[in-house]
Amino acid sequence: MSFFSGLTLGSYSVPILDIILGKLEPLQKTVLFQIRAPRVVLAGFVGASLALSGASLQGLFRNPLADPGLIGVSAGAALGATSIIVLSNHFVPEFLAGPFLLPIAAFAGAMLVIMLLFTLTKGFKSKGTTYMLLIGIAINSLSGVCIGFLTYISSDAELRSLTFWTMGSFGGVSWPLLVPAIILISFFLIWAIPSSRNLDLLQLGEIEAQRLGVNLKKLRFNIILSSAAIVGISVSLSGMIGFVGLVVPHLARLIGGVNHSYLLISSAIAGSSLMIVADLIARTFVQPAEMPVGLITSAIGSPFFLYLIISSKKL
Amino acid sequence: MSINIDSVSLNIKGVNIISDISFTMKPGELITILGPNGSGKSTLLRVISGDLLPTKGEVTIDNVPLSDMSFKTQALKRSVMSQSQQILYDYSVQEIVEMGWVDYSDTGGVELIKQKCIKAAKDCFVDHLLKRNFNTLSGGEQRRVHFARTLLQIDHQYDSIGNRYMFLDEPTANLDLLFELQLIRLLKAKAEKGIGVLLIIHDLNLASKFSDKIAILKKGKLSAFGEPLEVFKSKTLSDIFGLAMDVDLKTLKVTYY
Repeated sequence: MSFFSGLTLGSYSVPILDIILGKLEPLQKTVLFQIRAPRVVLAGFVGASLALSGASLQGLFRNPLADPGLIGVSAGAALGATSIIVLSNHFVPEFLAGPFLLPIAAFAGAMLVIMLLFTLTKGFKSKGTTYMLLIGIAINSLSGVCIGFLTYISSDAELRSLTFWTMGSFGGVSWPLLVPAIILISFFLIWAIPSSRNLDLLQLGEIEAQRLGVNLKKLRFNIILSSAAIVGISVSLSGMIGFVGLVVPHLARLIGGVNHSYLLISSAIAGSSLMIVADLIARTFVQPAEMPVGLITSAIGSPFFLYLIISSKKL
Repeated sequence: MSINIDSVSLNIKGVNIISDISFTMKPGELITILGPNGSGKSTLLRVISGDLLPTKGEVTIDNVPLSDMSFKTQALKRSVMSQSQQILYDYSVQEIVEMGWVDYSDTGGVELIKQKCIKAAKDCFVDHLLKRNFNTLSGGEQRRVHFARTLLQIDHQYDSIGNRYMFLDEPTANLDLLFELQLIRLLKAKAEKGIGVLLIIHDLNLASKFSDKIAILKKGKLSAFGEPLEVFKSKTLSDIFGLAMDVDLKTLKVTYY
């Protein structure tokens, strides 16, 4: 549903009947296949990534407030992107610049954080999950400092694109950039799903789970790596989009229960359709301009988050 | 074929929590570990469960050292019940019990798991609670649900796994007298069917009535091991618990007040 409305609606509308009947003008074709389709597909995959990694991290850390941002991966990606936006004019040679530079830098930032996590926890083996969480918080604030510094030294134009990137957008994405991202994201999404039964067992406690045959090291490795990868790729293409990873799993729990074999898949589906809708709102609300989609998800997400904290009996 | 605890010691930061403990448990035996608080009972159980690696010595289950056994094989061989943590998300009782089923991709299929789950729940008198939200149950009901999960864990189809064992750390905490007795009787029945049961409880009279053997720990050392008749002597018990105790030699009933 949201996929089709995402395709047809927009500043330039393409009637759905015409798509089905194949009666498209050349301009309509261009808008549909080159601009709108990649955008909707990207929104769907990013939504699925953020929501699935939110659901699996909330399970792994046994914490309902866990979020892909928590382990520092989004912050790493943001730092990579910020560096490029602010510093590329001064340091990067002309021939390297191009549409690929920003996502690659963001992805490198995310990978750097994963590797840092990997080394500090000796391959996700040593210590408990609390240790990993604290490291994530430290990484978050460290990248915050660096981003703050870069913001401070940036020029007006750089600051503007920085702000826009921080709030997230699916605009300007093209197929050559999208296809490798989709393949990678799909791979890691599918990789995460077999862990769902072990995530259920983990809710009994780490030692109890181990007594039931769960290999904790392997489970941590699978969840952290897949989450970090899908979030890193998503953030690198779309910027920072808040609250989807946090809120969507809770919605899915409210609808169909807490069992992870259901939760991971339903979160991914719900996240992807919600994101397509949010993007649709973002680009139709103030036509012909568009709002950053992160603004919309945060506008919906933060009140919900507040409600979650206030109504939670266990905090 | 047995569980063999061979001169096991555990030293944490220079403190000997348990030292040089050896005994053997055969399938079909019900062995109770007794001892004052801080005597190392739970630590010993955790070493045998594979949660903690002993500093010295070795635990073997049916001639295979624990350190050579995968988590999954251990999970099929023995189930463990201890003080449980709070569960964050709202699972149903049935989901909690089914977590005991180790190999979810097992050939038996969903129907078999469901049947066995209901049977385990019936044994623990929680079958009427299966649809309830686990977090809304009372402490005693939650213990019984965890007990049902522990029963289901070793009620699987893998015949090649051989003997099965249950380790329980104060399973009767929070239970009223009736359920306490029912639980011990159930364990006794399981032992008679060939399952080895290793159990920590505090009630000396229950221990003497139902145990095949009793191990008494004091300050991390095994100070007595044997059949209730050999171990339950007024002097031995008084020394260990630091409390004047009187054992009736015929019924083995202990009075201490």
